[in-house]
Amino acid sequence: MATANQVRFDALLSKGDLVETTSEMTPEYLKELKHTLTVSGDTELISAPAYYLAAQRAPSVNAFMTGIAIIQDELAHAHIAYHILEELGEDEEKLIFERDPKSFRYPYAFDVPLESWTELAIANAMYDQAGFCLLGDIHEACSYGPWKRGLVKVMAEENFHLRNGQSWMKKISKAGGEAKAELQSNVDWMFPLTVEWFGLPDELKMHSTQLEYRLKGKTNDQLRQWWLSVVVPFCESIGVKVPAHREGDAYVLDYPFPCTFDAENKRWDFSDPCSWDDVLARWRARGPRNAEMVADFQESYYKLRKSRAS
Amino acid sequence: MTGSLEERCWAALAEVQDPEMPINLVDLGLIYRIQVAGSHVSVDLTFTAMGCPAYEMILDDVRERLLAEPGVDQVLVKVVWDPPWSSAMLTPEGREALEMWGLAV
Repeated sequence: MATANQVRFDALLSKGDLVETTSEMTPEYLKELKHTLTVSGDTELISAPAYYLAAQRAPSVNAFMTGIAIIQDELAHAHIAYHILEELGEDEEKLIFERDPKSFRYPYAFDVPLESWTELAIANAMYDQAGFCLLGDIHEACSYGPWKRGLVKVMAEENFHLRNGQSWMKKISKAGGEAKAELQSNVDWMFPLTVEWFGLPDELKMHSTQLEYRLKGKTNDQLRQWWLSVVVPFCESIGVKVPAHREGDAYVLDYPFPCTFDAENKRWDFSDPCSWDDVLARWRARGPRNAEMVADFQESYYKLRKSRAS
Repeated sequence: MTGSLEERCWAALAEVQDPEMPINLVDLGLIYRIQVAGSHVSVDLTFTAMGCPAYEMILDDVRERLLAEPGVDQVLVKVVWDPPWSSAMLTPEGREALEMWGLAV
């Protein structure tokens, strides 16, 4: 039988009201909220070391400054998510420094090294656009008041990252020659990796607790379509080819989805379709930079703790 | 087209938004001086901080917008640091825009 709290909670949620305190939540809602916040915090946090490797290859001092400013934003956005988790009873320090690298919940794409300024520009235009769609949807739909309000400024700052990515992609494409060829070959591996970011297609995902709890408002496919509707026309407008086209109201992929990815060589094999179970297995195993990136920021924490203890 | 070219250039830069905040460059107080000689326009402009992450974007936007103005075919942008920018450079409209956005100025 439903408890009084459950009945009150269901009524609040179906009215479209905001949840403000833990005393209003059911244990299941609290668990799903924490999971969603952890994915968000981990994604923002890990984007910092992922972007930093490439930011060091900036082609000018000003560009380097922009890259570093974006990284600073991402760390601040991570902090917002972890801070809310603290208020929900988690320990930010433990979450960041005492978890096993493989238990971090962020998109697989960040595990594949970004090694040049061109790759960072594409990441700002594609990965940050994916973040923009996901967070924009949460901002719009989110039933948890403190997070919804925290996202107002996050969205404003993400706009700046998109602008950096798009203006550099445009500049590099305009430069032509080898620079443009490099841009195209990087888009070739980064575009499908971001398409995959949005997860299982709706036809395979029958039930979403996040949708039920209004922790998001759009389905995976709706979010993927939103992303495609921005990225495909943009790439076409600057003369960069992407394997997708518009058909009626929707965007259609020109390759089997999903298919096999070779992370070491940053190469997709469009002639080798695979199952979503294969993709989920690849995600769970994590990619090339996972352990290294997590170890990078956990190392000093452990050193300091060891000194304190001795 | 009404007004002198200099007036139109000020109005044009009031259409250019700061890439990080919902405020235009004129209301933010970044534009110190605009001089017009024939079809050549030169602009003295500053930034809120020397480490402005949007440095190149703002310079690109200023050039692009002024070149789109009829009668302008050359734009020279000079970055100046004296006097240093402070919140006193905001116009009353700019102050209001930043306060609405949640920034105490």
